[in-house]
Amino acid sequence: MTGTAPRTAPRAAQRQRARAWSPSKGGLLLLAAPLALLALFFVAPLLWVLGQSFAAPAGPLDTYVRIAGDGALRYSLIYTFQTAAIVTVAALVLSYPVAFLISRAQGRWLMIGMVFVLVPFWTSAVIRSYAWLVLLQRRGVVNEMLLALGLIDRPLRLANTDLGTHVAMVQIMLPFMILPLLSAMRGIDLSVLRAAAILGANPWRQFVNVYLPLSMPGVGAGCVLVFISTLGFYITPALLGGSSPMIAVAIEQQVSRLLDWPLASALAAVLLVLTCALFMLYERLNRRLAGAGEAR
Amino acid sequence: MNRTAATPFWRIASAGLVLFAVLVLVYLVLPTLVIVPLSFSSDTFLKFPPSGFSTRWYESFAASADYHFAILNSLKIGVPAALVATAFGVMAALAVVRGAIPFRRTLAALVIAPLILPQIVLAIGLFPLMAKVGLVGTYPGIVLAHAVVTMPLVFITVSAALRNYAPTFELAAMTLGAGPWRTFLYVTFPMIRPGVIVGFIFALTFSFDELILAMFLTSPTTRTVPRLLWEQLNFQMTPVIAAATVVLLGATIALLCLAALTGARARRRLAGEAKGAGA
Repeated sequence: MTGTAPRTAPRAAQRQRARAWSPSKGGLLLLAAPLALLALFFVAPLLWVLGQSFAAPAGPLDTYVRIAGDGALRYSLIYTFQTAAIVTVAALVLSYPVAFLISRAQGRWLMIGMVFVLVPFWTSAVIRSYAWLVLLQRRGVVNEMLLALGLIDRPLRLANTDLGTHVAMVQIMLPFMILPLLSAMRGIDLSVLRAAAILGANPWRQFVNVYLPLSMPGVGAGCVLVFISTLGFYITPALLGGSSPMIAVAIEQQVSRLLDWPLASALAAVLLVLTCALFMLYERLNRRLAGAGEAR
Repeated sequence: MNRTAATPFWRIASAGLVLFAVLVLVYLVLPTLVIVPLSFSSDTFLKFPPSGFSTRWYESFAASADYHFAILNSLKIGVPAALVATAFGVMAALAVVRGAIPFRRTLAALVIAPLILPQIVLAIGLFPLMAKVGLVGTYPGIVLAHAVVTMPLVFITVSAALRNYAPTFELAAMTLGAGPWRTFLYVTFPMIRPGVIVGFIFALTFSFDELILAMFLTSPTTRTVPRLLWEQLNFQMTPVIAAATVVLLGATIALLCLAALTGARARRRLAGEAKGAGA
């Protein structure tokens, strides 16, 4: 495999004998560069956001008081939470059977299933949101088809509604739910289901009492991932609209239209804290998932 | 006995389950594919079904200076960003997986965090800081921002590759006198190469797709393809965007096929080497 290593080995060995080396040494040295990058371009900006949110001229908590007092912003926060919850539940309900079937598929079917999940996963959210706009607008594909079939006489209003935006967001979030579910489900030993069947459990009871509990780490990880991603969703809600802007859209509006950096920073700080808390939850679930079986 | 009585019912139920899953997969894939026929439309606005076939939108896409510059910018930003992310991601993965370091899990979480955090929060923080040092609108600014958010992708794929084999290989090399750099070059890197390449491709794809940081940190002269698409989407809806989208979709899928092939070839090669080690 290596032609040059043995020839120069004695000299290298001599050099190395002076200070012993092992693969576990030098970790901190290796980490220095990545940590510097993170400190400068990730941690510092986040600290800046937190600092800015307390830097309003009227007082340190002024921005937060203004958010609490502004009906539209308050509603935007509640709406974002509602949307994240709806999208998470819808994605879970749609993903579970798909992940279940893919986790049991083999060969060609497994490959086809993975392609159907991974291609949308890696397709730009801008492109997919655009596709939904094309589908849902007034003279869009869905309306034209329904008109042609005679099911409606007038185009429905689909874009700029909560329903349309939710349908699009769920589609974009589905892979984030399916992939963690898959990794949990592939670790489940199917012989436990056979054991349950032998003991007289019908498929429903096998599912509820045996399979579902075993897949819970994947359900948890997927739900947290989708919830976090939806909380910070910008592209689809900005393009398709809804009854209120999502937090990310509100932040962008505060900055680019109203130039209110402290208020935008306070909104971003709220989003940051929420995301951090949920991310820690996700880490914990993920660790349990990794410990539970040979997931991945 | 209960089971046999219920069999037809459960058979229908499982057929229903398969049907449901197929419908979900269609919902997952079909909406994006609707753009393909639209991009070949001969109409001047988006109409479905298109009244005729033409490649005029591809021609105007190919002739558009805006798209040329944007694609060039996306490459100028994506390639260096992915290279930085790959170098730093590999270092971080080596340190966290192989190194004896304190707070291993916290550090791993910190490296992954930029991928999870909504980009708008980072953009709001990066913009004023980069404005102070004159990085806004420059290539280095957006390259570094993209490097931070794509480093987790490399970290994840390379960590997985490192966990796939025991550190005894490296120990053996070091016992034979190889220094850390030599060990990395001749032992570690060949073992993790597929993970590194896949991580690089993921990072590149992510940078090509990223909108929000690009919106804040690029100028009209450094704007990337997603930002151009976004600006066009907000005031016109001609099929040029559909044509551009199909081209980008094709490029993304091609890159991912490359990543999949790299992974498959590496697996085959490993299997082959294990079998025919003597030959």
